[in-house]
Amino acid sequence: MKMTPKIFIIGSILVWAASISLMVIFPWISMEDEPSDIWTPMNEKAKAGHQLYVNNGCHYCHSLFVRTIDWGKGAERIARMGDYYQMQPAILGTERTGPDLSQEGGEHPDDWHMAHFINPRYTNPLSLMPSWEFLGKEKIEQLTAYMQHLGWADADKRMARQEKWKKKAIAAYEAGPDSNITWLHQQVPKEWRNMPNPYPATEPALKRGENIYENFCLNCHGPVGDGMGKAAEYMDPPPLNFTTLKRNLAEDKYIGGIFYYQIMNGITGTAMPYFKRQLESEKIWDVSNFVAAWFVGYSDANIEPKGIDASYEPDWENPYLEDPEVQSEQDARMEENKNKEEVSK
Amino acid sequence: MFAFTKKPHSAALAFIIAGSVWFVIGTIYGLFSAIHLVSPEFFDNIPALVFGRTRAVHVNTVLYGFVGSLSIGLGMYYTPALLKRPIWSEQLGWLSFFFWTLTVLSGPLTFSMGMSQGREYTEYLWIFDISLVLAVLTLAINLVMTILRRKENLLYVSVWYFTATFLWVGGSYFLGNVMWNPPSGALPGILDSIFHWFWGHVLPGLLLTPMAIGIAYFVIPRITRTPLYSHTLSILGFWTLVVFYSHIGGHHILQAPMPNWLKMISVVDSLFMFLPVIIVIVNLWMTWRGRGGKVLGDPAGKWIALGLFWYLITGAQGSLQSLPDLQVITHFNNWTVGHAHIAILGFSGFIAIGGLWHMLPMITRKKLYSQKLVQIQFGLVMAGLTGFFIVLTIAGLIQGEAWYNGEVIYRVLPQLNAYMVLRAALGLFIITGSLIGLYNVIMTIRKGQPVDSVEQH
Repeated sequence: MKMTPKIFIIGSILVWAASISLMVIFPWISMEDEPSDIWTPMNEKAKAGHQLYVNNGCHYCHSLFVRTIDWGKGAERIARMGDYYQMQPAILGTERTGPDLSQEGGEHPDDWHMAHFINPRYTNPLSLMPSWEFLGKEKIEQLTAYMQHLGWADADKRMARQEKWKKKAIAAYEAGPDSNITWLHQQVPKEWRNMPNPYPATEPALKRGENIYENFCLNCHGPVGDGMGKAAEYMDPPPLNFTTLKRNLAEDKYIGGIFYYQIMNGITGTAMPYFKRQLESEKIWDVSNFVAAWFVGYSDANIEPKGIDASYEPDWENPYLEDPEVQSEQDARMEENKNKEEVSK
Repeated sequence: MFAFTKKPHSAALAFIIAGSVWFVIGTIYGLFSAIHLVSPEFFDNIPALVFGRTRAVHVNTVLYGFVGSLSIGLGMYYTPALLKRPIWSEQLGWLSFFFWTLTVLSGPLTFSMGMSQGREYTEYLWIFDISLVLAVLTLAINLVMTILRRKENLLYVSVWYFTATFLWVGGSYFLGNVMWNPPSGALPGILDSIFHWFWGHVLPGLLLTPMAIGIAYFVIPRITRTPLYSHTLSILGFWTLVVFYSHIGGHHILQAPMPNWLKMISVVDSLFMFLPVIIVIVNLWMTWRGRGGKVLGDPAGKWIALGLFWYLITGAQGSLQSLPDLQVITHFNNWTVGHAHIAILGFSGFIAIGGLWHMLPMITRKKLYSQKLVQIQFGLVMAGLTGFFIVLTIAGLIQGEAWYNGEVIYRVLPQLNAYMVLRAALGLFIITGSLIGLYNVIMTIRKGQPVDSVEQH
């Protein structure tokens, strides 16, 4: 075959035209843009936020679709074609340096987003996201509106839940620190309220807990646990001051289970997110022990009720037990264990 | 006033100088972006240097500015040379240069201010989309007219590749950028992704790849002084390139909600895409067979040989990556970033740089200012890129495996830190290489020793 100008010029264009007919024109004709079951229209503020998202390259680190293989936030909804109805451009993204945002709406209340856009490390100390403070408050609010829209009808449901609980949380906060804690404790199921931390608060465990605290909690609850982290000024209600917990223990002795439950589930309506998709059991117990030991000055680690000791557990004496009754219970149990060991020998 | 625009090869030289400058600017923006991933508060609240903006400048400037401009400049030289006729209109060439450079220049200016159409590789604003398409159209006219008025009857394979590039790109760019919809440059709904990723793969496949292959086909036989191995392979490579490369954009959105038939075609043709890759490599391999030392010993030949090596890896990786089972791990993470760097800098970038050092003396009729600097530049860029590829691939596997095992993105970030530090450091090698290259180009033009014109052909 000789490549004459005619063959190669006309041929190139024809082959190209055949390709675009199949790969671009045919889908264009055959695909219909129809809303999915959860689609809802975007309001003007969210539209402005979408524009900012597109113009400033947010999609270089965030994707807008959840896959069947994904874990973590948003995985309860696998993306469908109609979710993107009328979105222009539906900017799906190619990289996940940050989390997928297609179901972001209602995951956090607006005040969390404000702190996070001002400096992402205020809410997520490990984040690699740049600060967007320079955009100004108005544009950050538009971006937030767009975030809260993502997830469509599902996001609306989550937002309604945020708003409902925000009112209650603010009311509780305004009633004063002690009744606030009483209210917070009441939101924890009774079984969890009366549950001690089953992990001993050993030195290594507290170190691990400290690590988790620094990576997840530090900038809201603050380096001394007084709720005065850098993010606090943006949040309503503000983060909890742990130091007020000591006089508010459940049945004067329990706090571990409450910590675990609140960290796991978060407190909807406040900036406190749920961590159950980021942290698994031991990590949550360890950080609970850390917060208890360092900021409350008391841990219920390893007290009764408890089951059979795990084989690895050291003989660890809880140094925080001042209550003679709790102390004697603990002593009696240890004595009993010792006797058993001796008997088995 | 514009007398300089009539000087032979002046437009080609303008493209080449611009390409060398864009190499420096584009990689510096790459470093800005890399620093963000090491220390997100290094450039704290500096709007023009925020990651979402610098990344767009980096990507577009290296694609269209560095590899694009450089390859166009070289093609504008070798195509008329192969046709034994000056280019049809040198001034039209300058017009192409003006339009093309205007678009590339708009990147740092508009993206830095938060003005961008957002979709990856189609970020340029509508008005600059138009100037890019005008550049492509003027180039197409100029090249076709030169072919029609040629003195050499036989059209060499480099001429096909370089000319066809502009026959394909104009329409593809128009479609992929949805240019009939100026404000957003997009269609509503998920359909837009099909248009977007059609261009997303035509850009490397039908713009940068054919220009790079054209350069390789031109330079290698000139270095070895042997005829091209097989005309049949050239023909097969050319037609398979346009057939397969234009079908595979869908593999970028394989995991998104898309029609299955489209995904299937994308995956199957992605596998077939290895065909044009291997054909070009075999054809050139057989051409230099027995004279490989000559290619590697030549400062320009070394760049091109290594460029083809990266092409082989990129091609193999690209085909395999399209397989859904592999993509489960490799999608959405730094694996892809590594792939993109060996494709653009490794394959088309290396070959463009090789072409530059081979043809600059032919264009300027001056000897290279320093062959040693070419070697140093090669060492730096090769080390930087190899490191990039290894580091980013490892980082990508860490991310992909961790996510697949149920770890959330946030908790994997600290594991990337060491790799991101290495990556930023390796970027310095590449930036230094780009500066040395620019220096060598300028010094060759200003102070290079004249060469005997007999030596050239």
